[in-house]
Amino acid sequence: MSNNILKFAMNRNTSVEKINGGNLRSVCRLRDTFTDAEVVIEVKMPDMEICAISGYFRHAGWGEIEDLDRRLQAVMGVRVAAGMLKIIKGLMGEEEKIQQIVYMVEECCHGVILTLTRKVLLKAPDDEAGKVSFYSNMVKKSIRLYDRCAAFAKGTPLVAELEAEKAKGGA
Amino acid sequence: MFDFMRNKVVDVARLDRETLEVHGILDDSIYSLELCFKVNISDLICSGVKGRWLRWTTPECPRAIDFLHEAEGFCLKAGIDNKIHKTIGRKSCRHFANLFIECGHAVRETVKLLNWEAAQKENPEITFKQFMRNDETASMAESSPGMDNEKKELSSPSGTNKPSPKKTEHKRNAGSLGNPSAKKGKFVIDMHVHTSPASPCASDSVDAMIQEARRIGLQGICLTDHNYVWSAEAVQALSEKHDFLVLRANEIITEQGDILTFGFYENLQGITRLADLKKKVADVGGFIVAAHPFRGFLTFGADDVGLTPDSAMARELFKWVDGVETLNGKVTETENNMARDVANGLGLPSTGGSDAHDISTVGVYATAFDEVIDSEASLLAALKQGKYHPVVFR
Ligand SMILES: [Zn+2]
Ligand SMILES: [Zn+2]
Repeated sequence: MSNNILKFAMNRNTSVEKINGGNLRSVCRLRDTFTDAEVVIEVKMPDMEICAISGYFRHAGWGEIEDLDRRLQAVMGVRVAAGMLKIIKGLMGEEEKIQQIVYMVEECCHGVILTLTRKVLLKAPDDEAGKVSFYSNMVKKSIRLYDRCAAFAKGTPLVAELEAEKAKGGA
Repeated sequence: MFDFMRNKVVDVARLDRETLEVHGILDDSIYSLELCFKVNISDLICSGVKGRWLRWTTPECPRAIDFLHEAEGFCLKAGIDNKIHKTIGRKSCRHFANLFIECGHAVRETVKLLNWEAAQKENPEITFKQFMRNDETASMAESSPGMDNEKKELSSPSGTNKPSPKKTEHKRNAGSLGNPSAKKGKFVIDMHVHTSPASPCASDSVDAMIQEARRIGLQGICLTDHNYVWSAEAVQALSEKHDFLVLRANEIITEQGDILTFGFYENLQGITRLADLKKKVADVGGFIVAAHPFRGFLTFGADDVGLTPDSAMARELFKWVDGVETLNGKVTETENNMARDVANGLGLPSTGGSDAHDISTVGVYATAFDEVIDSEASLLAALKQGKYHPVVFR
């Protein structure tokens, strides 16, 4: 068996750029063994609402999605924020054929979130002690980070200050 | 120029008759990481999950690697994504979860290819398109009819799309309700409470939530389980059982975010357009409140994107709602402050609620009413009169 020859290969690129008026354009392109697809969204800043969307989708097995444009337009006005995935799925549909394009809309939105995250992270200091205080403050400011991943898990160094404050303030 | 770029590469090779080998790379402006594991072709069970970081952010991110083994034994069939988010995403890192989900998709696509190759042995002429069409019809026949019907059929949904008759609404003697140590003679209700199993994301039962609310001295709670309608009878029984005011409300997902509804008991599923919801609720004389309208992101705030109360006031959402939740227990202070400033700017009344999903946070925030509330009707009347304000309670 030719086990050094791939059965399946996938390549996904998501990029975000600022466009006129300060809005963000986020593009997700997918090429894999079966699929050639693209979703482009424009997000209105600072409201972070999807204000334009387009895309194409071709799958070797399914062909194109006939009502793709209608499905994409359904998410116009949705805000890029926590809880958006449920809304996007609900508006676009959840059938198997639609799942990849829904995922690509979501990836575009994540690209926007990561673009803004990157801006915040650029302010992080380079030395270890500085990093600890930077990220300890981040979790204090945004409690939803607490216990949501290994780096901010209960009882770990970056949440120590937060937990100490909680213990004092609570009871 | 691009401000952010993320590249993901996933490949799948067939190691032997039984096994696929999966390799994924995620490399973006912030993170760089890799995953590698094996999958048993017949049951899609994965094993030998290994990963490594090349670039990360916090000094503690390396811990994420220790939790990748949580994915050991996962069956990568469709629908596994949520479980990946909840285990790998929460215990390890959301970016490893993101890559793992890509890998799972690649595995399922590869299996389609393998199945087509198998089908070609019997019918060398069959094209991939034809194979997929047959496969689709086969799987449609497999899925049991009526699967939709079992959604959310818990103990007491009203099910039918009819508002519950007014006559079943319970009146209670307010004098006997709740805790006498009520703050400043106000009537304090937590307007936003989730219970399990009605809200899949909640972890404590309705009885536990009510007991805790009573214990900490609230005068009442509103059950706002996501897109779930309690029956008037069930809620009255709970009120009597606990000698505590329990009222029905709802939290409905719209394209503009979550909306709390009061005095509206239609069982809506999926995503409802806010304009439609407003009309439906107005038709039955109900009241709608924008829940946590500025709930945003983990790593940056409204201030970081330059959102100001003035610009936020123009949002479509605020044209439809009757009130704004300006103290919500699940968002940051900045996000609550933004909601408060917008509500004040627009002259919309403000409510407060914990958004508790377990007993530890019931009543962190609540709404203080000037008058006694003893029924859903009196709550609705008070909401419309505007004689209340959000309070930090716990
Ligand atoms: Zn909500
Ligand atoms: Zn809620």
